[in-house]
Amino acid sequence: MWLPIHINEQSAEPLYYQIEVQLRALIVSGQLEEGTLLPSIRELAQLLKCSVITVRRVYQDLENEGLLRTKQGTGTYVARIEQNAMDRYRLDAVTEALEAAVEAGKLVQCTREELTKLFREVLDRKFGG
Amino acid sequence: MNENAISLKEVELQRTHFQLGPIQLEVPKGYVTAIVGPNGSGKSSTFKLILDLIKPQKGVIKLLGKNISEDEDWQTKSRVGFLPELFSPHDNRLKASAKTEFVKKWYPEWDVNRYQELLRLFEVDDGIKLGKMSKGMRRKYEFALILSHHPELLLLDEPSSGLDPLAWRTMIDVLHRYMEPGDRTILMASHIVEEVKRLADYIVFMIHGRVLGVYEKDELFGSWHAFYVHGEQVNRKRVQAMPGQCGIEDTGGGMLRVITRMAPDAEDWCGQEHITITHRQALQLDDILAILVEQERTRLRA
Repeated sequence: MWLPIHINEQSAEPLYYQIEVQLRALIVSGQLEEGTLLPSIRELAQLLKCSVITVRRVYQDLENEGLLRTKQGTGTYVARIEQNAMDRYRLDAVTEALEAAVEAGKLVQCTREELTKLFREVLDRKFGG
Repeated sequence: MNENAISLKEVELQRTHFQLGPIQLEVPKGYVTAIVGPNGSGKSSTFKLILDLIKPQKGVIKLLGKNISEDEDWQTKSRVGFLPELFSPHDNRLKASAKTEFVKKWYPEWDVNRYQELLRLFEVDDGIKLGKMSKGMRRKYEFALILSHHPELLLLDEPSSGLDPLAWRTMIDVLHRYMEPGDRTILMASHIVEEVKRLADYIVFMIHGRVLGVYEKDELFGSWHAFYVHGEQVNRKRVQAMPGQCGIEDTGGGMLRVITRMAPDAEDWCGQEHITITHRQALQLDDILAILVEQERTRLRA
């Protein structure tokens, strides 16, 4: 099974974190439905060219969050997620992306006003406002 | 989880032109461990030691939970598959199928279907004499041979040597499938950066007969980065204090390229020192190896 997860080797973010964020997004956005069987740990490691240690960590973290469940001997599945939990996760991912955008702005000394203006412009462009 | 398939404790091997060790090495069960090092660093000797083909002067070697060279150790060895770097020419006049007939007797778990499947997969005809096979063909044949008794442990010395890109891909795939059950182990030696990247979970650096450390692959690549920094506060002397600093290079225009083996700490440090990282680059395996070799040379000279 193929998963649309992209690794940026040049990133400062640790590999497990990059994979975790993207896999979580696939689950909470509903792109991976409840009950979907995920690739085995070795398979996903092969796909992403990372170690099984990394993949195991991702699966464990997401299992602890209640997004995945592992059935002994059969594999790891997408768990049933409550609607309100789903909404929370959905917004979490967006919040995180916005925070990253603000960080990028601060790096080039953008002011609060400039960022607000930029954000409005992007909104207008994307929503055709 | 922390069970070891192989362990070497204080192992030393002395030869007239070479000293290996003392080596401490633990190869965890269920993972692929790759030994990476320049030619002559002792990788092949380590394999021979593990298989009791040569005896160390000192130290204890355990293979699949048993001390090697004890009675009945052929039973332990029948659970291992070994692919040497070079094949001895003494069986060149044999047909491959004749070698198979001989070899399979030693393995209670021999699986003829698995053997046939692998020959088909690698497109090998075992009716050919071993001496008449091309280097790659011979390698593929031997590969099929060592996998057909469902070994628990594979020792692979430069597995892809002589393989064409397609055969190489098939090999990588076969090895991934081999690892799928989760309780199997591979120890391999390799120079091929891409091969290590695709297969390994742990990386062992071995230089001049010494083991320099065992690293989890992704942690290793996440730690060795080159930072490009510039600015008024930036100078050589200052960035020398960067955590894990392993080299500074002037790239022109007041820009310095600083290599660190502790990227997360170095990044925090830059934050505290108000040094802006303009660009960063993850180092490749061969870059890391080159630096370690250089450090080891300096250490030996000192």
